[in-house]
Amino acid sequence: MSTLVQEIEARIADAKAVTARQNVGVIREVGDGVARVEGLSDVMLNEMLDLGHGITGLALSLEETDVGVIILGDDTRLEEGGEVRATGKLLQVPVGKGLLGRVVNTLGQPLDGKGPIASEVAYPVEKIAPGIMRRRPISQPVQTGIMAIDAMIPIGRGQRELIIGDRSTGKTTICIDTIISQSHLNSAAEAAGDKDYRPLYCIYVAIGQKQSTIARLISVLEEAGAMPYTVIVAAPAADSATSQYLAPFSGAAMGEWFMDNGMDALIVYDDLSKHAVAYRQVSLVLKRPSGREAYPGDVFYLHSRLLERAARVGEKYGNGSLTALPVIETQAGDVSAYIPTNVISITDGQIFLETDLFYQGTRPAISVGISVSRVGSAAQLKAMKQVAGRLKGDLAQFRELAAFAQFGSELDAATQAKIDRGKRIIELFNQPQYSPIPVDVQVALLWIVQNGYMDLIPVDRLKDYQARLTEYLTTSKADLLGKIAKEKTLSEALTTQLKAAADQFKQIWT
Amino acid sequence: MRRARQIKRDAKQLWRLSLVNGSLDENRARLVVERVIESRHTGKSAILSQFLRLVRLDRARHAAQVASAAPLDADTRAAVEEGLARRYGRAIATTFVVDPTLLAGMRLKVGSDVYDGSVKGGLAALEARF
Repeated sequence: MSTLVQEIEARIADAKAVTARQNVGVIREVGDGVARVEGLSDVMLNEMLDLGHGITGLALSLEETDVGVIILGDDTRLEEGGEVRATGKLLQVPVGKGLLGRVVNTLGQPLDGKGPIASEVAYPVEKIAPGIMRRRPISQPVQTGIMAIDAMIPIGRGQRELIIGDRSTGKTTICIDTIISQSHLNSAAEAAGDKDYRPLYCIYVAIGQKQSTIARLISVLEEAGAMPYTVIVAAPAADSATSQYLAPFSGAAMGEWFMDNGMDALIVYDDLSKHAVAYRQVSLVLKRPSGREAYPGDVFYLHSRLLERAARVGEKYGNGSLTALPVIETQAGDVSAYIPTNVISITDGQIFLETDLFYQGTRPAISVGISVSRVGSAAQLKAMKQVAGRLKGDLAQFRELAAFAQFGSELDAATQAKIDRGKRIIELFNQPQYSPIPVDVQVALLWIVQNGYMDLIPVDRLKDYQARLTEYLTTSKADLLGKIAKEKTLSEALTTQLKAAADQFKQIWT
Repeated sequence: MRRARQIKRDAKQLWRLSLVNGSLDENRARLVVERVIESRHTGKSAILSQFLRLVRLDRARHAAQVASAAPLDADTRAAVEEGLARRYGRAIATTFVVDPTLLAGMRLKVGSDVYDGSVKGGLAALEARF
């Protein structure tokens, strides 16, 4: 016993108190969500700083004599002369499946009152995008459930598709519809025990939006049962510009975790115009030189490094994907403004929404002529390609002919037929919000319209026809739809069955 | 904005003039200040306050403040000074202060480096961990 006591005494005598070196600074100025700190000689760029009172800061500009720090949280308790400590850690957010169904702020802290986030892993907010060797081509589709998009502007997993348009033209609705569609697909696959289906998890980043808008959006997602597959990162208008600036990067980090762990995720940045404005504010307060429209010189890099993080990576590198749907709000349809042109050039295509179309009743108000998807067609289902391959060209032709027909000149039968078909397709593409259409139904409907079954239906009754046809197909011909979804291509046998179903419905329809 | 940058540049230029073998020479610094005051430069007060800041930051880098809960004896003081000289490899002007709020232990500050071996610091770190 005595030897043990002696041993412990010897150990205590040997043990030296180690005092770690800390790097500290002193606040010299504070205001507008930004502090200037003297000292901090060893601080890293983007390092988290402890400003005291439980407030975190981020070292954003390192200068000769001081450090520009953006404050994440309430800056009213900070004062001149306060001590700032470097933490040696880059800004991190919790990631993982524990975030699903939660509403969090920029730092990944819960805002929904459902208790702490169950997550043991944290990812740095700023991360270099996957390199060339880690990526692989896009070949899997994202089924948005919006017929006009799935048919004409298909999106693939790992793609970056910009949604651009004026205010209240339905930009957010497209994103929400896509999220709801994923939840339907994910839960259907879960219920059917489909092991081959790769669920697509969604992250919605709200930047500079009204709190009421975000609350409404959450209730819509909850009602649709989409929350269990969704993470909401909220940086509302009331938050500081710094947290609005960082929110999309936090969201991207959460999405990257899914990508790195063999899963697929979709991230919506709603919207990047407000993000650029928040970054402009931070930059101007930090006294960085301003350029066009007072945006700092690195505003292009701000968005390019964010959107480059969306990718589809190879099997060796995680075997997952991150699809990005950035949103840009234009002013009076001006796509040639600074931020819209930047983001258009970075993304793999854009869905352009027009105010005129919206008020004419086309919903979603997609302008087919200037909306493109540069890589998505490789991911489109073969069945969809078979029925919608020439649709975009046909619709463009229809618009030209319809404009010509306005002059009231007589038209030959072939032209009139084209115009009639075009009107019906456009009517078919009209879709109410929050009601995504499954891809098998989309294929069947497009086959039926392309094969002239709807030509005799008056345009004003087409929606009624579509609703009853969909009901007929889903109730009486569920096996046919199931085969389309399973085979993913329209074989001759399936085409015959579709024809038979369409003929049968023709008898029922009055 | 431009003026502020010009002032910084001018102050930096004066700072460089005050260096001898890479470190600040006090006599030169005094001379530089005298010459600037004598000059008719319109922005001299702003330039001098920026220069003063650079001098203050340099002094802080070469000065150590040792705070302890109780007064230190001469041996301990000598040991601390020797340790600092060994660590930083340059002359460090050390000042010793007594701060009873530390409860026990010692807190060293050299420029922006802090070595906190005080009980107060330990308790604060423990609190932060919770």
